[in-house]
Amino acid sequence: MLADVPLEEEVVLVRIDMAGDDLEPLLERGIVPGCKLCPVRHAPAGNPTVYLVDGALVALRKETASCLCVRSALEAAGVLDPN
Amino acid sequence: MALVGPPNSGKSTLFNSLTGLRQRVANYPGVTVERKSGVASVAVGLVEVTDLPGVHGLSPRSMDQMVTRDVLLGKLDGGKSPDAVILVLDATRLESHLMLAEPVLGLGLPTFVVLTMADELGRRDGALRASALSQELGVPAALVDARDDASLGPVRRFMEALHIGGDEVRSCPVGVFAGTSSGHGALGRPLPMVDIFAARREKAREIGLSSGFKPPRQSRLTRQLDAVFLHRVWGPLSFLAVVVVVFQSIFAGAVPLMDGVEALVAGSGEFLAATLPEGWFRSLLVDGVWAGVGSVVVFLPQILILFFFIAVMEDSGYMARAAVIADRLMHRVGLQGASFLPLLSAYACAIPAIMSARTVESERDRIATIFVAPFMTCSARLPVYALLIAAFIPEGPFLGPVLGQRAAVLLGLYALGLVAAVGTAALLKGTVLRGAPAPFVMELPPYRRPTVRSIAARLLGRTKVFLRRAGKIILAVTIVLWVMTQLPRTSDGEPPAIGDSALGRVGQVIEPAIEPLGFDWRIGIGLVTSLAAREVIVGTLGTIYGVENPDETAIELQDALRRDLDLGSAVALLVFFVFALQCMSTVAVMRRETGGWRWPALQFGYMLALAYAGAWAANQLL
Repeated sequence: MLADVPLEEEVVLVRIDMAGDDLEPLLERGIVPGCKLCPVRHAPAGNPTVYLVDGALVALRKETASCLCVRSALEAAGVLDPN
Repeated sequence: MALVGPPNSGKSTLFNSLTGLRQRVANYPGVTVERKSGVASVAVGLVEVTDLPGVHGLSPRSMDQMVTRDVLLGKLDGGKSPDAVILVLDATRLESHLMLAEPVLGLGLPTFVVLTMADELGRRDGALRASALSQELGVPAALVDARDDASLGPVRRFMEALHIGGDEVRSCPVGVFAGTSSGHGALGRPLPMVDIFAARREKAREIGLSSGFKPPRQSRLTRQLDAVFLHRVWGPLSFLAVVVVVFQSIFAGAVPLMDGVEALVAGSGEFLAATLPEGWFRSLLVDGVWAGVGSVVVFLPQILILFFFIAVMEDSGYMARAAVIADRLMHRVGLQGASFLPLLSAYACAIPAIMSARTVESERDRIATIFVAPFMTCSARLPVYALLIAAFIPEGPFLGPVLGQRAAVLLGLYALGLVAAVGTAALLKGTVLRGAPAPFVMELPPYRRPTVRSIAARLLGRTKVFLRRAGKIILAVTIVLWVMTQLPRTSDGEPPAIGDSALGRVGQVIEPAIEPLGFDWRIGIGLVTSLAAREVIVGTLGTIYGVENPDETAIELQDALRRDLDLGSAVALLVFFVFALQCMSTVAVMRRETGGWRWPALQFGYMLALAYAGAWAANQLL
């Protein structure tokens, strides 16, 4: 889950577990399966978190980030073995 | 000609550069989306330019997107599509912004693609060949810096060509996006939304690649500033500092300006009184219109100061950071980070608060923000509070020397409003505005220096909206109230004593209804006249009790009130003013911002019921 990724670790989006209409604001901003995401900063209260995605900074709440299923960018590039 | 583009793409900057300050702001009929239009003059004539709301797509998921699509399809604006579209995309974020190109170019209107932020792209080592992109998309494109008039040559030439119907204006081929725009897969089955967008994003990547697009590195300035403004300690502290500066400027800084406006209104009123012959017309103009409209116009400095700060914060990029910081707190009460500033500004006046709630993207949260804003203690309530507290609350220590009794009551009234706001927000989110919380997706644009032109354009637009909306309704209300004080004439043809006037009778008619609250007909008249603006009740009570120069510090007025009210009914009156929506300008602005009478009517009824119940309880208990 994206919510569990430590800061500065780049990940690749695999799947979004969210219902229809709520999905669109994410998709329109380029948050689509295959895109790279990197958490860069937590808000002072710890939530929401700011992510670097598609050249832009986007803040997502923990609940939203928990719906984004991701895997490590290195793993996706085949550098690391998933097992 | 219509400008289309994602939020933060530099669209409004381009609009301001093209049209200067010759702009008109209005709402599209029936909805709350603003229609901003202006006239650009090019070498061969004038071109009308419409700045459509910032959108990421043309699906009907939000009001903004719906309106944009309908305008482009010619369903709005007199049933005519724009003659041409200028698609504004941020060159530093070409690939994700190109996702909007597909639905827009798919409409087949003559389109010119303006790639903004050329300066930033270069500074941050990015690259893009506009000519290659133009070839890829099949429509003309140019890389510009929207703040720099000199770089807008290609856009102006396009507009000139449009004007004389030149070659440059041609319908674009839709072929570029064939296969991805229909939303159907190879077998004709509709694709799931995720696949449509993934395909769109992939197409955008390919186009970017063949246009020599090299994404710029992250802005160093933005990284450094975020390290401060979103820092665990410095972030909240600087946020607090900003809040204090805004609050202080609205309250203290605006005072000399408000005094100036007041003096101007009073001076011009006196001039009119001295110039015009005595008679009903002079009385209507001076005692009715001038006094009434003046009592609302006096808030204009506060409104301008607030909107100045909002404009600076939005254009500089700080607003998004403030929303991120406030989100945790606001989320807990059922709102979101972007609601914070509008609600804060409601402490000055609910009208700019309601207008500035447009910064809240989610429609449900925006309505909730608008709905609770009038519970915040606006400055028009202060004269009423001050008068009643001075008359009924003895001076004396409450919490040692720090907090006196009077200050404590004032603080209590502020707190009561806040509690009502929080409770109402929770109630709304649990009932009429129920629904799963919309995902909070807040873009943090890079920090940029705001331009004078863009700030001036916004202030001008807001001022016009305020004066038009509030002015119209206040004019009507004050004229009606004035007429009611003048009729019926006495046998000598003189205006009646206020107790015998139509207004006095209204007070007597509603007396049975307000008697359980401990109010008599005099207070009843005050409640009616305060519908124009809350503090008008002070002047009205002055007139009724025959006090000269009534203001909240007038001793005679305090004495007169002490004769007619006891402590219970005085507190009841205070509570009534905490809750009741005694402000027709707010109602009018709310109608504009929610696109109908439904919300303002509900709001008025709800707040009145709460005020009545609260005042009744206070009168019974004390």
